[in-house]
Amino acid sequence: MAYEENGALQSLLAARGVTRRDFLKWCGSTAALLGMAESFAPQIAAAVEGAVLQPQAPALWINGGACTGCTESMAQVDTPDVATIVLDLLSVNYFETIMMAQGEDAEAAKADLVAKGGYVCIYEGTVMTGFEGNALRVAGKPQVEELPEVFENAAAIVAVGSCAVDGGWVAANPNPAGGIGVLEFCKEHNIETPVVNLPTCPVNPEWVVAMVIDVLYLGALEDLSVLDLDEFNRPKGIFGQTIHDNCSRRGHFENGEFVTEFGSVEEAKGYCLYAVGCKGPQTFTNCPIVRWNGRASWCVESGAPCIGCGSANPLEAGGNWVDVNAPFLNRHRDIHVGDWVTQPTVVGAAVGAAAVAALAVHGVGMKAAGRMDGGAPYEEMKERDAKKGGGK
Amino acid sequence: MAHPAHYREAHPMVFVLTHWINLISMVSLAFSGFYIHYPFFSGFMGVARGMHFFFMYVLVVNLTFRIIAAFFVKSAVVNGSRQQDTDIKNWLPQEANRGQMIPWLKYYLFLKKDHPLGAKYGVLQKIAYIATVPLTYVMMWTGFSLYGPYMNHPWFESSLALVGGPMNMRIIHYFMMWVFIIFTAIHAYLANVEGFAPSRLIFAWKESEGLEFDPKTGKVVGGKGH
Repeated sequence: MAYEENGALQSLLAARGVTRRDFLKWCGSTAALLGMAESFAPQIAAAVEGAVLQPQAPALWINGGACTGCTESMAQVDTPDVATIVLDLLSVNYFETIMMAQGEDAEAAKADLVAKGGYVCIYEGTVMTGFEGNALRVAGKPQVEELPEVFENAAAIVAVGSCAVDGGWVAANPNPAGGIGVLEFCKEHNIETPVVNLPTCPVNPEWVVAMVIDVLYLGALEDLSVLDLDEFNRPKGIFGQTIHDNCSRRGHFENGEFVTEFGSVEEAKGYCLYAVGCKGPQTFTNCPIVRWNGRASWCVESGAPCIGCGSANPLEAGGNWVDVNAPFLNRHRDIHVGDWVTQPTVVGAAVGAAAVAALAVHGVGMKAAGRMDGGAPYEEMKERDAKKGGGK
Repeated sequence: MAHPAHYREAHPMVFVLTHWINLISMVSLAFSGFYIHYPFFSGFMGVARGMHFFFMYVLVVNLTFRIIAAFFVKSAVVNGSRQQDTDIKNWLPQEANRGQMIPWLKYYLFLKKDHPLGAKYGVLQKIAYIATVPLTYVMMWTGFSLYGPYMNHPWFESSLALVGGPMNMRIIHYFMMWVFIIFTAIHAYLANVEGFAPSRLIFAWKESEGLEFDPKTGKVVGGKGH
């Protein structure tokens, strides 16, 4: 790469107070995040530096049934850090929450890009199919009417946040708005655009940056295997290990030092939150490593048990993280038997106690029947043989 | 009152040992499993997990050995007789079990006065015992699916996806433990409710006098209490 080409990015970074050293450090951590060796850092640097001279890659940020929490998470970077600059490389032609354009102009910009195709579609929020699509109306018509074209013409879809992945909390029981994830919507409409799922509530901006780099600059569009996605279309590098595996409180877990009550001495000591329902052992994200809010901290480090917002099951109704993990302070999810909502512990103990009680009652019967001392006398022959008229 | 004689030929020494190993393993697994489910006292999680993994390996190896041994070791064909045949034959359904399911149910529900005849094991007993074999292996499978070093293996990853994620797998694993607990309760009850001769034999390998049975017809032919 020619020096002056590098210079273009350098001046852009310098204008924002980012040194070349900071930039290369960031490239190294992005390589780690993508599950690559740090030796890939120069390649990432080259890709980003090259991209800055290219026409900006077009992108659409589409909001479904969303609380805008993911937008908020992306916007939380309060100083323009390297990640922000890289995201500036994306030309986001439509972004409801923060775009300048309004009304028909904004819709026209979106329609133009959709007609042209080849953009990255970042989808935030739940796909709302309820009430014949009227659960979410955009620009005067149900959003689900425009989505097939938006998804079909995209080069790739990045589903950000658990809502976009599998409906998230919007789709939690009883799901009146008919919320589903992007992947399921695409499947229903036979859309084959690649979908990258980035669950958690909200999404971690570092992951979005990593995926944008992957999709736009490292050739993931030509060869999807670069993304190394799991069965739920999540990048394995980010969603491959449990929170429990990398947790800073793991030592306390192994020692058997637990918080059983909030406000206790154990809590003050920073003991393990397993006994107050931490879902870290079954939630696959790298939160403890990447952390949140400019890498300041993350849920468990700040004292809250993991509530499993990174659980995802994009193609199964009821697989959203709320149905799977609520109540958050219990070890197990609730189970529904008809209208009856209860905990597995209660069911197990009740069935076990019923079995023991039945045996006790039976024992009383055996005693009354005089069978306790050796059982009843044996039959002469099997009943079926007796019916046949002989035991020969 | 009448109880079959219990001779050592019914449970050769090797099976007395495997039964002991099963008992110790299952009690340890249930206890450590309850602790892992919810740590009801402090300072034990590392040990509980170690116990849980160790005893499951023991249980599975023991079960596999027990199944292979059934093809080579002989055991008594019926209680109250010393005549033996290959052990596996006494486990699988036999001619002597034919038509006896309903009589057994009726006997246990007090609708039938006489003790049904049968082979070494009755119909319900065989169903319960044989069911524990696949149940144990399924329990192992669900456990590995939840166990850090193995959960990323494609086999277990796809099992997790099949049941809808690790939370559901955890609950299946938990409920299956109750199945084993209930099995054990019924097993211990039925084995001992008519007298403790079976326990004396399987735990201490001590014989008890009682009714003699003819291995050919399965009928009572003599012995103490005839």
